[in-house]
Amino acid sequence: MEFLGLSLALFGAALAAALSGIGSAIGIGIAGGSAAGVMTEDPNKFGSCLILQALPGTQGIYGLLITFFVLNKLGLLGGAGAVALTWNQGLQIFASCMPIAIVGWISAIYQGKTSAASIMMISKKPEAMGKAIILPAMVETYAVLALLTSILMLMGVQVG
Amino acid sequence: MGVAKLKKAELYYHKSVHEEIAAALQETGVCQIIGDAEGGPASVEALRAESEAAVADVRYLMRTLTPHFNDPISSLDRTLGERPIVSMSDLSKLARETDLSSICTKVRGLEHAIGEGKLELSQARTNQALLESFRFLPYPLSAITEGTRTLTGVAGVVKADQLKTLQAALSEFSKDSELVLEPHDEKAQDIHLVLFLTRQRASEILEACVRKGLSVLDVPAEFKGTVEEERAKLATSIAALEDREASLLKDMENEAETWMPSVQKLSDYWNSLTERYTALGKSGETDRTLLTRFWVPAKDAETVQKKIEAISPNVAFFLSDPGADEEPPALLQNGKYVRPFNILTELYSPPKYRGIDPTPLLAPFFFLFFGMCLGDAGYAIVMLAAIWWLFRKYRRVPLGIRDFIVLFAFSAVSTFVYGIISGSFFGNFIDSFLPFLVPVKNALMLVDPMTNPMQVLGISLLLGVIHLMFGLLIAAYDNFRNGQAIDAIGANISWFLLIVGLCLMGVAMGGMVPPHFQCIVQAMAIIGAVIIFWYAGREKSGIFSKIISGFLALYGSTSYLGDILSYSRLLALGFGSAVIGMIINLLGGMAAAIPYVGWVVAVVVIVGGHLFSILINILGAFVHPLRLQYVEFFGKFYTGGGEPFTPLTLSEEFVSVKP
Repeated sequence: MEFLGLSLALFGAALAAALSGIGSAIGIGIAGGSAAGVMTEDPNKFGSCLILQALPGTQGIYGLLITFFVLNKLGLLGGAGAVALTWNQGLQIFASCMPIAIVGWISAIYQGKTSAASIMMISKKPEAMGKAIILPAMVETYAVLALLTSILMLMGVQVG
Repeated sequence: MGVAKLKKAELYYHKSVHEEIAAALQETGVCQIIGDAEGGPASVEALRAESEAAVADVRYLMRTLTPHFNDPISSLDRTLGERPIVSMSDLSKLARETDLSSICTKVRGLEHAIGEGKLELSQARTNQALLESFRFLPYPLSAITEGTRTLTGVAGVVKADQLKTLQAALSEFSKDSELVLEPHDEKAQDIHLVLFLTRQRASEILEACVRKGLSVLDVPAEFKGTVEEERAKLATSIAALEDREASLLKDMENEAETWMPSVQKLSDYWNSLTERYTALGKSGETDRTLLTRFWVPAKDAETVQKKIEAISPNVAFFLSDPGADEEPPALLQNGKYVRPFNILTELYSPPKYRGIDPTPLLAPFFFLFFGMCLGDAGYAIVMLAAIWWLFRKYRRVPLGIRDFIVLFAFSAVSTFVYGIISGSFFGNFIDSFLPFLVPVKNALMLVDPMTNPMQVLGISLLLGVIHLMFGLLIAAYDNFRNGQAIDAIGANISWFLLIVGLCLMGVAMGGMVPPHFQCIVQAMAIIGAVIIFWYAGREKSGIFSKIISGFLALYGSTSYLGDILSYSRLLALGFGSAVIGMIINLLGGMAAAIPYVGWVVAVVVIVGGHLFSILINILGAFVHPLRLQYVEFFGKFYTGGGEPFTPLTLSEEFVSVKP
């Protein structure tokens, strides 16, 4: 049971990157479908479509960020050697990863749907680009809050 | 500052000079014509019809020739102002010399020929594939296409698993049929075959075969010789068709090269003219005169008047202020430091003519918030260098785009400052690779989000409170200005007192302030709450509904809590870009440990990684502060809803028109 703490922490880190990455991939996929549809009609919209398609991609980056944060905290980067963790500490780190893992995953999907709708909007009204960017960003708020929660929780966990 | 004062102009002039007048108004580019285009003067109608026909021709040519045209000016260069400079008189000369309809006829002919050629070629390729399948046939194809006196041939294909049943069915007619099969092995899926039948029973047998899975293939009647002979003939004709297609495409490219530069110029010319005549069509008329009404910024009115009066003595020009019942369009007019932020207001919705222009109010906050979200001195240097290079390379960037780029230059400045005070330079590049600079970095650091995020969170939320309270005060000012003092106090000042009071109470609880101050802030909060309570219930009848709506209004304070917490994104995004930078440096450092090629990999990882990080974080640092303006800040006082000022201008998509 010596490594249970470390394993739990790594499990959390893996979920943070994996779930939010899955969410972003789905979200970008949904938005990409709409973008391709719009671009068959008007290839000149590539630039604005790409920006809108990229918006649900940030959750994956937030997840990755938390994963690196955890790996860094555990001393697994840079060859310093892993710190010893009790299972309790491991569970704390696992819990800290959950906000971004879960919220990142689901919010990216909904952000993708909003982005897809925004892409449809600029296909009809290219001048509404500002509004089209803001609508998906409203969804992202909750991923940002989850990221913040994960960061603050991780900072609070004492290891080593 | 703010929404520009407009004048309403009424211009009466003789019909003989209507072209010159309209051209002058268009060239000034500051007149928005009023009226609708229905039932305009007949003489203008004819001109407009002519220019619209030319626009249709130009559009057709652009659409058809663009795929064949290798434009020497890239569309990015064009957008950034690298367009040929021409004058309107050059353009009208070009328009007179260019016979658009004959070019159209020629291009249409070519387009048609290319289309037909494609069709023939695809037919020929289908036939080629068909012949390929029947190479096993030892007889001339005339046996199928013509037959003999007694026999007729049918080409067909059958699925491998149905071949047995087909053969069984044919065995009943063995006297009247002969089957020639394509040589095949077990893996074959489709088997081609030729069936020879006696003429008197042909249709009967064929029907039976089709029921057993035979698909009849149509062999074109022109095939008479052996399969090999026909294949050779077909190959020659395909080669000829391909040659012809290539030469037609070449012709098309030549046409594009010859005409596209002119067509692009004419596109701007005819579009300008169509705009002009559409605007002119909004005029009123008598027998000999026209009346055009338009909005013009007060500061430009005199210039326009002089320009018009120089054209003809037979004009009358009257200026008046907009009437109280009129809603003129809104033109944002701000000084050079605020003007780049106009686009942020315009993206939301321009203000009403008599409303508040929020641009100067949001500008400092957007500037600050962008800096905090990107928050890296290194990234700021990259941004500034890119912008410097862009302005060096492109000297004629159009005004709107120039403002947008300048907005990013401003944002980069605040990013640089925040990067310095938070100690972020390409993430933790200094700590990782330039250890001798660490003391300098540390000496300049005022906040440290990495080790003390609560401090930056506190700053973020405090900025949020300031931003929101500022919004409330603007709303109060706006209400006072419109004579709604009760609303200003009940809906704005009251909340200001409550929120500020509560925040200061929080500070006071920390024990950092003297006790009498605590009394004052408590009083502030209580007065605020009482006013909110009273204001919400003031129009309700009955004590009960007054109390209920009062409490409901106070419950609305939760939305302020949400608004304030929303500013925590300033910490999260700034932190995010710093950590992404750190990860990239870490990966770069790890890559550097690879023997021999390590440093190459490290450079690629660090340069590529930071470029990616800059792009993705600029997007975030633009979108999120913008959201704070639109949702949290504007929510307090601004609804927009004005009409943007859209003056009659020359179309300058492909050329810059020289005055």
